[in-house]
Amino acid sequence: METVDINVNMGPQHPSTHGVFRMVLTIDGERVMDVEPHIGYMHRGAEKLSEEMDYRQAIGYQDRTDYLAQFMNEQAYCMAVEKLLDIEVPERAEYIRVILCELNRIASHFMFLGAFGIDLGHFGTSFTYGFREREHIQDIFEEVTGERLMYSYFRPGGLVWDVPDNFVQRVRDVLPKSRQGLQDLDMLLTGNEIVSVRSRGVGVMSAEDAVSWGLSGPLLRAAGVEWDLRRDKPYSIYDRFQYDIPVGTHGDVYDRYLVRVEEVRQSIRIVEQALDQLPDGPIMPEKMPRKLRGPEAEIYSAVEGARGEYGIYLVSKGGDKPYRLKMRSPSFCNLSALRDMTIGNYVADAVAILGSIDIVLGCVDR
Amino acid sequence: MMLALTYDVGNIWLDSLLGLLAIIVLMTVGALALIWLERKVSARIQMRLGPMRVGPYGLLQTLADAVKLVGKEDMRPRSADRWVFELAPFVVFVPAFVAFVAIPFTRDWAVAFLDLGLFFIVAVTGLSFVGFLMAGWASDNKYALLGGLRAAAQLISYEIPMVLSLIAVTMIVGSLNLSDIVIYQGRVPLFVWQPLAFFIFIVAALAELERQPFDIPTAESEVVGGPFIEYSGIRWSIFYLASYTNLIVYSLLGALVFLGGWDWPLGREAGLWLQVLLTFGKTMFLILLFMWVRFAMPRLRIDQLMSYCWKVLIPLAFLQIFLNGLVLVYGWPDFTLLLTSGAGLLLAGYIVDRTVRADPRTLRMVPANPGAAEPAAADSAGS
Amino acid sequence: MLGILKSMYVTMNAMMRKPVTIHYPDHHRDVPQRDRAFPILLWDKEVDEPFCTGCHACERACPVECMTVVMKDNPLHADGKSERRKIVDQFWIDYGRCMRCNICVEVCNFEAIAMNNTWAGHELSKFDRNDLVLDLDQLLSQHKQGKIDAWVPE
Repeated sequence: METVDINVNMGPQHPSTHGVFRMVLTIDGERVMDVEPHIGYMHRGAEKLSEEMDYRQAIGYQDRTDYLAQFMNEQAYCMAVEKLLDIEVPERAEYIRVILCELNRIASHFMFLGAFGIDLGHFGTSFTYGFREREHIQDIFEEVTGERLMYSYFRPGGLVWDVPDNFVQRVRDVLPKSRQGLQDLDMLLTGNEIVSVRSRGVGVMSAEDAVSWGLSGPLLRAAGVEWDLRRDKPYSIYDRFQYDIPVGTHGDVYDRYLVRVEEVRQSIRIVEQALDQLPDGPIMPEKMPRKLRGPEAEIYSAVEGARGEYGIYLVSKGGDKPYRLKMRSPSFCNLSALRDMTIGNYVADAVAILGSIDIVLGCVDR
Repeated sequence: MMLALTYDVGNIWLDSLLGLLAIIVLMTVGALALIWLERKVSARIQMRLGPMRVGPYGLLQTLADAVKLVGKEDMRPRSADRWVFELAPFVVFVPAFVAFVAIPFTRDWAVAFLDLGLFFIVAVTGLSFVGFLMAGWASDNKYALLGGLRAAAQLISYEIPMVLSLIAVTMIVGSLNLSDIVIYQGRVPLFVWQPLAFFIFIVAALAELERQPFDIPTAESEVVGGPFIEYSGIRWSIFYLASYTNLIVYSLLGALVFLGGWDWPLGREAGLWLQVLLTFGKTMFLILLFMWVRFAMPRLRIDQLMSYCWKVLIPLAFLQIFLNGLVLVYGWPDFTLLLTSGAGLLLAGYIVDRTVRADPRTLRMVPANPGAAEPAAADSAGS
Repeated sequence: MLGILKSMYVTMNAMMRKPVTIHYPDHHRDVPQRDRAFPILLWDKEVDEPFCTGCHACERACPVECMTVVMKDNPLHADGKSERRKIVDQFWIDYGRCMRCNICVEVCNFEAIAMNNTWAGHELSKFDRNDLVLDLDQLLSQHKQGKIDAWVPE
């Protein structure tokens, strides 16, 4: 009998494409024969806009790329500008940045854990559990920065203002809640046999392939490569904390999930250490120029974002604006491996694999 | 309305009309209440409030939704196959509705006491997959097609273990009459004698109802509602109504066949309202179980669903039938039924557990900065 | 099987706990003091005039160019009642464009602009986009009426 493969257009209004992502699946029955991803539905020209802004103004646009790990984006951008202008960041500011970044990583991973459950077919239960925990952390962010999503709190040189007086106590109160919430999600998903059969051996990516595709972050670590910018290209003050880097053994969807669960625990550890060591002091350098003017230079600074290496490549031709600002977004680079991972799997797996990449469309399209 | 079921006018046509009317009202109100209940249960499981706005605790929310749905435009894609598309909701709805006719709610309270009641219900509810297939095919939508095919495959497959588990029960009772089956359970309900069959029934019912973990035909995150994707307004709400009616039917069936219906533990001489209460309570128990499972489970994949049916449930159902046959032929006492069936269930659990649970996977933990200051030893300067 | 039972246990456990959500339009959660909604202008109650001198600092610093400021000579200064020689004449903020980055508050030398930290600042849905462009009176009114305890950093 003659059979025809059919094209199924998944997205951009599909509930499980994590935003406005579109993939055209060629399916033979339930099996995916080909995937063609289409991106660009959320392109806002953040790179070009940043070229029009001076170094202080552009901070608002950094939040809006990876809108689930905003502090990391700000951190990368501020580090680039600080490197360009040769500014020393005060100790206290560095500590607060680390605390907020790691809290942000926890929040982002909770979002992933919740959404991952939905991709595997949970009727929202995992999602609400993840959101519940993320909410506690966002409350802290709101108390510190005043915003719930687009913080624009870091500034080249330090922070825009100091944290509230009860900040340390608030974070200490929230961390046990996060632990408890993580345990809930862990019990709900990790041991569940259905999650296990759905995600084990699906979307396998070997370490060599992962490196060739330029993957980074949890995907790379799940594939078995020990690579964490916080350890291997130390920035900020990450060399002062003890933590473990979880590395997967199989490189499948299940490993990516486990790596993220473990990263939440490690982030909690880092936050606790940073809270213990948090010094007093200024949050901005004494002598900050009113107008930030950089020399002619090319700078690349990268941080270990929640999704992988978030880098800012900044070209300055002098003046108060960058000549070119390129964002190396982890979602975009990780997404490039989608086709390789998906072909040959079932339609349901395609959704799970896409979910395991944990893309943020604002970060893909910028 | 309820009295209509027992009201005997004497005219057979009038009687059946009144019975049907009662069923329609009962079913619609029941489905509306269940939709509200499901939303509340899901809300509580997910630590939300659920509907709160319309009426006290949102009780009238589904009514408001129903009014909205009826008021919506009934849209049909231009390329859809008109008659198939428009008839599909009713083909799904009618079997669920007809199945009600044969269900005895109490000792002498049913629209029709059929000697082949069980057979009738199973035969009739098995028809609903045709409607899903029609909807999937006629919508001229690829998601709907995928969903319709999935529904057909799943519903036909899971019909078999369900029927086999019911056959195991009828072997013991020796009758297909639901009243006889309930009366047989006056002393001990059948889920005690037949735990394996009960388990198979529950799983197969979950699959027939297309609820998590078997909601593959309508999978929200994959085929976005499957066969229903092109439906709107009243036709969509008929699909919805049918799914909740099916929930009631299967729960009632489970309550009657396995949980002792209106008989156990109060005896068949208990008052009418006590009997109603018993049936209602047991049905609610099963419904809540189905809802609870729905919000605790992710979804299986289609191939896993199929292999679970054909490689696990059907062999186990045959095992149950075989064990029952053994006990009945040799006339062993009743408790051997429990022993053999329970042993079968444990064996099944063990086998499934061994196959599904792979080695617990651990990650390699690479310590970073082992030389960094210990958290305890760190000088906590400042706040 | 064990994992499935665990999942069931977790969900039942959650069912027994109190819901974490609140019934939003009827109940509002407290917003922190630093809450950032949209920028508003502050009113100098001692002199009975706006703090804003119309110096265009915020207008220049705004990344999305949502502000328009017009400056004028201060009539009260001529009378000797105020120390401000110049004062704001017209001020528009397009809330539809504002991205709430707080830069205007930072650059202001007179602490004349602050972010609205009340719920009124968040619930701004309008039927017409043009209604989101607020003029001077609207921007000043909330602080003038004492509805806002504005938080200005430092």
